[in-house]
Amino acid sequence: MTMERTTFQGSGEYVASEELMSAVNIAIQLKKPLLIKGEPGTGKTMLAEAISKSLGKELIIWNIKSTTKAQDGLYVYDTIQRLYDSQFGEAGVDDIAHYIKLGKLGEAFKADSQVVLLIDEIDKADLEFPNDLLWELDKMEFYIHETKETVKAKERPIVIITSNAEKELPDAFLRRCIFHYIDFPGPELMEEIVKVHFDRLEENLLKQAMDTFYWLRGIRDIRKKPSTSELIDWIRALQLGGIAPEKIRQELPFIGVLLKKDEDLNELKKRR
Amino acid sequence: MFTPFFYILKAKGIEVSLTEWVTLMEALDKGLSNSSLTDFYYMGRMILVKSETDFDKYDRAFQEYFQGVHSEDEIPPQIMEWLDAGGDDEERMWDEDENDSLWTKKEHSDDPDQVRRKLKERLEEQHTQHDGGNYWIGRRGGSTFGNAGRTPGGIRINGRTGMRSAFQVIGEERYRDFRLDKALNTRQFEVAFRRLRQFSARLDVPRTELDLDKTIDSTCSNGGYLKLEFDKPRKNTVKLLLLFDSGGTMMPFSSLCNNLFKAVDKANHFKDVKIYYFHNCVYNKLYNTPECENGDWIDTEWVFKNLDSDYRVIFVGDAQMAHEELLGVNGNYRAGNGGLPGIEWLRLFQRKYKKAVWLNPRKHDNVAALEWLESELLISEIFPMYKLSVQGLKEALNKLMVSR
Repeated sequence: MTMERTTFQGSGEYVASEELMSAVNIAIQLKKPLLIKGEPGTGKTMLAEAISKSLGKELIIWNIKSTTKAQDGLYVYDTIQRLYDSQFGEAGVDDIAHYIKLGKLGEAFKADSQVVLLIDEIDKADLEFPNDLLWELDKMEFYIHETKETVKAKERPIVIITSNAEKELPDAFLRRCIFHYIDFPGPELMEEIVKVHFDRLEENLLKQAMDTFYWLRGIRDIRKKPSTSELIDWIRALQLGGIAPEKIRQELPFIGVLLKKDEDLNELKKRR
Repeated sequence: MFTPFFYILKAKGIEVSLTEWVTLMEALDKGLSNSSLTDFYYMGRMILVKSETDFDKYDRAFQEYFQGVHSEDEIPPQIMEWLDAGGDDEERMWDEDENDSLWTKKEHSDDPDQVRRKLKERLEEQHTQHDGGNYWIGRRGGSTFGNAGRTPGGIRINGRTGMRSAFQVIGEERYRDFRLDKALNTRQFEVAFRRLRQFSARLDVPRTELDLDKTIDSTCSNGGYLKLEFDKPRKNTVKLLLLFDSGGTMMPFSSLCNNLFKAVDKANHFKDVKIYYFHNCVYNKLYNTPECENGDWIDTEWVFKNLDSDYRVIFVGDAQMAHEELLGVNGNYRAGNGGLPGIEWLRLFQRKYKKAVWLNPRKHDNVAALEWLESELLISEIFPMYKLSVQGLKEALNKLMVSR
């Protein structure tokens, strides 16, 4: 515990496996972006929140959508506003800097102290998107053509990038990242995770629910396997519904919380 | 330092770049592996391997390079069994307070070599199962060796939580399922199909779409006077013709084909998708449904006339026709042949559609050596043939995208 301030140890609300913790710490030490992949619902996005909390650093989230362009993250030159203002002779029209708006990456660079930057679901964007950010993530700086200004990070942000593997990321981009694949948690880790989310939870209910959950995940023909977050919702539903634990496996109450596809529900019916 | 490891990784098919290797050396230099083999295993993996599909390869390379270390860690099967016994009595064996006191009392042996040496000695001494306690190898105790114990710097044998020991993980081959040569679910097929796109922006089409951003820019630089800018529409121009074999020998692969079908069905980025079915081989009729009922069909000639040669064609079938079915003029036992043997119909497809591939769920590697696979050999000479797996599909789609 010599580097208390800079090492990540998980947090009160987030249970991380040791492998994940060491990946985070190594990424921080090597000053490289950490790329996180894993099944949906394994807490990829929550990781950044947990890091920001446990290290006491501000969190900046850049949500990537299919239309997001790399430029959006750096800065946007609001030409329309400028055109509009000029029609009415507003003050400040000749000052271009007035119309430069920093994106999330720009914000992270401009911050006075080190921040945690989450680039969420990078695979949603166009195939070339990650390539357009290579220089910026490497050098942690970019150039604003309109104002001839270079924005350079004062403190290199801790960059966490998540991906759902919808698209393959370019090799050049991958080479610069530290990679971690979040495994689906096994029963022991899962128990810990679930307990973090509940103040009071009956042991028997938890055990029955978990058994049923892993049994469901083990059925080969089920297409969309239920995830951690769905398990938590389900246990909450069971708790609120006052379901007797011994009935869980038999009756599978509120099963719609776990299985969302018709095919999967039919598959389950066949087995009962 | 570990340069041979670098080459073993390369030999196993992991494309480690020099940048990544230097990063790993830097990490070692900073002492981030804590001089532990297990930490080194994870650190190497997170820096050098960028896809879970390659974890298995990494494991094998790691095993090869560090083999010598492995043999020293070897645990006799008998002791493995005691440690594995686990199960119901685990809770009773575990005492939180006792553990805490152990944690503070215990002298920490941090030198891994020393720990490993001790383990070896202890293995030679021990002859019975021990749970709890501080010395013998056992479960939930304060001894340096055993399962679910909590001695810092100790060796964990076959445990379940915490950092998994490197060889333990390798032994499980947990990442087998991720390997690319396995056929997998719809989603992965869908992802693969995204490769199949060609944007009209790169083609020679008229600029018909108003480019708002450019218009604004131009208008601004034009002193506020409107100046319109147009661009080529950005649409996928790929058209796809999919032909499924629905014959009896394809039955074992119905769920695989179903996944492929769904993936194509869901992929809404194609300009046009046409799907037809055939029974064993293509003749003068193509069926509209997988049931292949006589009457519910269209003429193959109709396809040639109406689907232009821009269509990319994918055949899905096991290419296991009988000799007669492929080469005979009367080979089609269900309906007429239309005057040509099956193979000639396939050649007509080849002539009309420049970009066509064959996906085979059963593809054999040494097809030329296996006489009874004559039809597979003949067809693979007409169409490039790939295995119906994620990797095979990727290769096939790449083939469809390159211009000849």
